Amino acid sequence: MKLTTYSTDQAGLQAFYEAIIRAHDTYGPVEKFGKFDFKKVNSLSECDPESPIPRTMSVKPLFFPKSAKVMKYTATSAGTELSDTAEDPLAGKRVILGVKHCDARGLQVLDAVYKWDYIDTDYEKRRENTILISPRCDQAATHCFCTSLDYDLETLDAVDVAVINGADRKIYLQARTEKGETFLKENATGLTSANGSAEAEMKKQYETFAASFRLKMNYQEINERMQGQFDSPTFEEVPSSCVSCNTCAFVCPTCHCFKISDEKIRDKGVRYKSYDSCNNVYFTLMAGGHNPRPVKYRRWRQRAMHKFVYYKERFGVNLCIGCGKCTTSCPVNISIFEVVTKVASSMQE
Amino acid sequence: MICKVDKIIQETPDICTYRLKFRDESLTEQFDWLPGQFIEFSLLGSGECTFCIASSATRKGTFDCSIKRAGIVTADIHRDIDEGDEVGIRGPYGNWFPLEDLKGKNLLFVGGGIGLAPLRSLIQYAIDNRNQYADCTILYGARTSADLCYKEEIEEWKTNKSLRVILTIDKPEDTWKEHVGVVPKILEEVVKPKVENTKVITCGPPIMIKYTLLALDRLGFAPKDVITTLEMKMQCGLGKCGRCNIGSTYVCKDGPVFTYEELKRLPDEF
Repeated sequence: MKLTTYSTDQAGLQAFYEAIIRAHDTYGPVEKFGKFDFKKVNSLSECDPESPIPRTMSVKPLFFPKSAKVMKYTATSAGTELSDTAEDPLAGKRVILGVKHCDARGLQVLDAVYKWDYIDTDYEKRRENTILISPRCDQAATHCFCTSLDYDLETLDAVDVAVINGADRKIYLQARTEKGETFLKENATGLTSANGSAEAEMKKQYETFAASFRLKMNYQEINERMQGQFDSPTFEEVPSSCVSCNTCAFVCPTCHCFKISDEKIRDKGVRYKSYDSCNNVYFTLMAGGHNPRPVKYRRWRQRAMHKFVYYKERFGVNLCIGCGKCTTSCPVNISIFEVVTKVASSMQE
Repeated sequence: MICKVDKIIQETPDICTYRLKFRDESLTEQFDWLPGQFIEFSLLGSGECTFCIASSATRKGTFDCSIKRAGIVTADIHRDIDEGDEVGIRGPYGNWFPLEDLKGKNLLFVGGGIGLAPLRSLIQYAIDNRNQYADCTILYGARTSADLCYKEEIEEWKTNKSLRVILTIDKPEDTWKEHVGVVPKILEEVVKPKVENTKVITCGPPIMIKYTLLALDRLGFAPKDVITTLEMKMQCGLGKCGRCNIGSTYVCKDGPVFTYEELKRLPDEF
């Protein structure tokens, strides 16, 4: 199926976004204290769909909340009463503007774990009911390496609609999924079908973008070499400055480990599902004191191996999507790109 | 699902068996499991813990969880739960002992301390389907005689002529008439199991497992014939939360039951 590309200009794009916001529940990157977080918006002026990537947080919390109530209970003299929590506020039909391509890929990668065996129906519903509209970057940021990984960013179908800058201030809106195609058809007022030079202009835009990367790796080689590096002494050296703050996991679009905890006040209690991280010393600590990853380098090894080897082995896709958020946010400047390239290049004889 | 605590049996100073039945009795028939599977057990307000089901579904109506006081939630469980109280459970989760592979084989159970709990489910299952299995031998040890679990049931096993039961404790005690010595030593010196057509099912503290595996190796057992059940920190039980990952393996879905051959292929991180 050939998916449609529409053509417009900056004013047309603004009008398109405004029309979406009027007609749909819409989320976009909203600036607060210098960071952009995805929030519900009522007008385009509240958000910036072109927000700069190093300062934009992941859209993941709209699919996998940082902390969510899963169950409530009350202890009565007659016994324990369980009650479901309020209706899921993220389950309705919605449009998200300004999702970066890498971030959308993150959701596509997460689908694999959420849909194997037990299906997380909340997550599935949120995914199904969401349209992702995603501007393609023109320029890589310092820690970006999305073009080096195991997916084709140029034709990425993790986004429903890609927004791409063409020549002469033209802007192209390209449907990448059938969902996106239908959405564009229904909301295309003021847009015109793209003409013959569109393909070439979009290609040119991608080439310029791809040439702007400071970081590049040979993914195939890194993945293959890492497979045999579980015992590499390099793991013991690399992350020694890590302060185990878990920030890397909390900002990561694909980290999905969580913990289940109970909070109780007198006879009422709530059970929460909240973000957790393998960098946390308590993550694998068992009652009785045994901990399979008692030291920092082992926890970091788990992080790097899960991102670049284990998930790929299990689900066929690399877990790291090369967005650089962990590196940008790390208080001690640990770069996962540097860690894996260093480990992979320290091949043991 | 809400369960009522039907009975609490103080097995040892720090292990209690909680016999559970469903508050909604219609769930009793629906709830089915195979030996080796586990549940998530909630003491509402304290949290959830992972425990194996220590009894067999061939004995329906109730099911048992044997819980050692080891951490925060288990301490709360021991302190706060009385007979008649309500607890929450989810499950059953995980894989089970390879019942088909075990058919027609000699079964050798090697357990230490609380490690007898998952084996007990399979032992009961084997007793209830006795004609499906050849010789059944149970070697069980603990540090002291007071640390042995399921004492009454073991007495029953000893009177069952189709079972061979060998008990041992680490150090001599005045009134102790059975074997003395650590489990791997008794395995090699007393049990002397025949390798042919035998499957070994073992569970116990890591140090016992380590030396038991070495002893089994010396006795000539192939790693594929040695089955164990892993203890890992788990929370969701659904292959999502990431806690029980060993390499690309999810212990909660792909395990907790593994052969020694399978364990050897995993990264050494458990």
